[in-house]
Amino acid sequence: MHSKNMILKHPLSVRIFHYLLVISFVPLAVTGLILYFKPFSESTMNLTIRVHVIAGILLTFDALSFFMIGYKRVVLFLSRVFSISGNDFKWFAVLGGYPQKLLLHKKVPVPPMGKYNSGQKLFGVCVFIGGVILIFTGLALWAFPHNLPRGTVALLGHLHTIAAWALTLFLCVHIFLGIYMFDDFKAMFLHGKIPYEEAKEMAPLWVEKEIIPLPKN
Amino acid sequence: MNVIAKTYQKGEIPGVIAINASVCKGCDACKRHCPTGAITGMFGATHSIDVDLCLSCGQCLVNCPFGAPYETSDAVDTVISKLNDANVTVVGIIAPAVRVAIGEEFGMPAGSLVTGKLYGAMKKAGIEIFDNNFTADLTIMEEGSEFISRARHAVFGEKGENGEPIGPLPQFTSCCPAWVRFVETQYPSLIPHLSSAKSPQQMAGAVAKTYGAKVWGKPAEQIYTIGIMPCTAKKFEASRPEFKSAFEYQTHINKAKSETYADVDVVLTTRDLARLFKKMKIDLAKEQDYTPEILFAEYSGAGTIFGNTGGVMEAAVRTAYAVITGNELTDVEFKPVRGLKGVKSASVTLKDSKYDKEVTINLAVVHGIARNLKPVIDQVLAGTSPYHFIEVMNCPAGCINGGGQPIQKNGSSWIEAIRPWFAWK
Repeated sequence: MHSKNMILKHPLSVRIFHYLLVISFVPLAVTGLILYFKPFSESTMNLTIRVHVIAGILLTFDALSFFMIGYKRVVLFLSRVFSISGNDFKWFAVLGGYPQKLLLHKKVPVPPMGKYNSGQKLFGVCVFIGGVILIFTGLALWAFPHNLPRGTVALLGHLHTIAAWALTLFLCVHIFLGIYMFDDFKAMFLHGKIPYEEAKEMAPLWVEKEIIPLPKN
Repeated sequence: MNVIAKTYQKGEIPGVIAINASVCKGCDACKRHCPTGAITGMFGATHSIDVDLCLSCGQCLVNCPFGAPYETSDAVDTVISKLNDANVTVVGIIAPAVRVAIGEEFGMPAGSLVTGKLYGAMKKAGIEIFDNNFTADLTIMEEGSEFISRARHAVFGEKGENGEPIGPLPQFTSCCPAWVRFVETQYPSLIPHLSSAKSPQQMAGAVAKTYGAKVWGKPAEQIYTIGIMPCTAKKFEASRPEFKSAFEYQTHINKAKSETYADVDVVLTTRDLARLFKKMKIDLAKEQDYTPEILFAEYSGAGTIFGNTGGVMEAAVRTAYAVITGNELTDVEFKPVRGLKGVKSASVTLKDSKYDKEVTINLAVVHGIARNLKPVIDQVLAGTSPYHFIEVMNCPAGCINGGGQPIQKNGSSWIEAIRPWFAWK
């Protein structure tokens, strides 16, 4: 059902960034897992790392270009995900009410959230820090493993593995909840908008403080 | 391990280095350090080593960020069992580069010179001391004399004393086992250019089991020689079947009867020796300095500098100067061959006192053969080399940065300043 009152949650620049993120990070995660477990033949492993490198370059350019073109959005996103309040602790105490909703079909009181709920904020922090780590360590491991100090490269390798595992595991949760919250999923992949009613329920502080009604034509 | 290795003689260790497949990330870092392209496996796939191409230099081992390469030959427990055998005299042949590196394994600052402590720890372990600097001096006398003979043959047509054939110029040094194997497997036509002198390690083994047998009052077969080296390729060198001079001497000259034995029984790297000390609860850092009262611990400054790039050449120049001119050098330092430049060259003009003529000797020093050797070799092959004597050490900076040294977290790749490499295949 399509609500008449829609709110723009994901502008086009964010959606393009996200499309590119999807088509780069998903292959990176899959090929990364293959590279970690090494199950295939030599030529397949080589093909795997080539895909990994290409996807890594795409991810890097995606991140760099979004940072340059959508600098204000990046700053806004960071200020949102790095802001912590008492509500975040309360949200985590009930895990946003999702386990109760999914497993017990029960609704529990959830503290009011802004544009991003506490789980999304944590994911945002992880994506930002983990993404920066993955990009820089990945570049070093690809191009300079032989002419950086070996201890440094070993450390970069461990950081790359840890960040990749963290983001890949987080990605599984992100995809599941993204599809579960289908209106948000459609907003991110299609038109950028979510129904006003849903926004009011899921992100009341955002609606209350930041949303301005547009005059009707 | 490749069981159909084609470039080894019977008895030789077919490749001292292997790669642990479960640790290898396929990052290709090792390939940039391998002098022969012996590391196989595409980028992203687990790598392995082609033992026929491998020189056993261990540069992949000391530079791999993830510690995937390892040594296939480990004699630490064998040495300990020999030390526990009252019938055996264990002799440790200590290379010059070991004493400035082993301290790191015991928490001492990098570069600490611990000769006295090392002697003390060896004494405590029950190892007789044979300083390889002693035979480095022998080597340079042999190698220097051989060069003079080749040079006089080339310039003045001088014949060998006993009519023996005299090798061509340029003469290459022969104390680096990785370099010798490189010539044998990659450029066999250059074998006559290699000095015929054995390496200090092999001279030490032969001396220990001949003259040393009298010093220690033991038959040669009860003397167990261990090369203590900064180098993994020395393990390969010691296993070469031709290195049984002491056995041949004892059986043919002294008519002794025994089973064949090698001049050097086993080789421990600097890392191996540190492990041996730790197993025997010896803390080298806490050892008192000890000075052995034995001829085999006497040596000159020429022997001492052998482990550095240019060290053999500098020592050779000192010897050649004394022999050719008939005078001792007043300033023994020969600085043009020092430093970390990939190829260093110098010219020395000397007056040959025997022929009363001036001769100019062109010298070159090459280290890090993976990057620096090819242009020098190509000139020699083309017959256009300006050099008469060329020192080659496989490892960047020389033995001091050998594959058997303590593994530095800072690595050593900066020595060669290898360019970035965007791995793909």
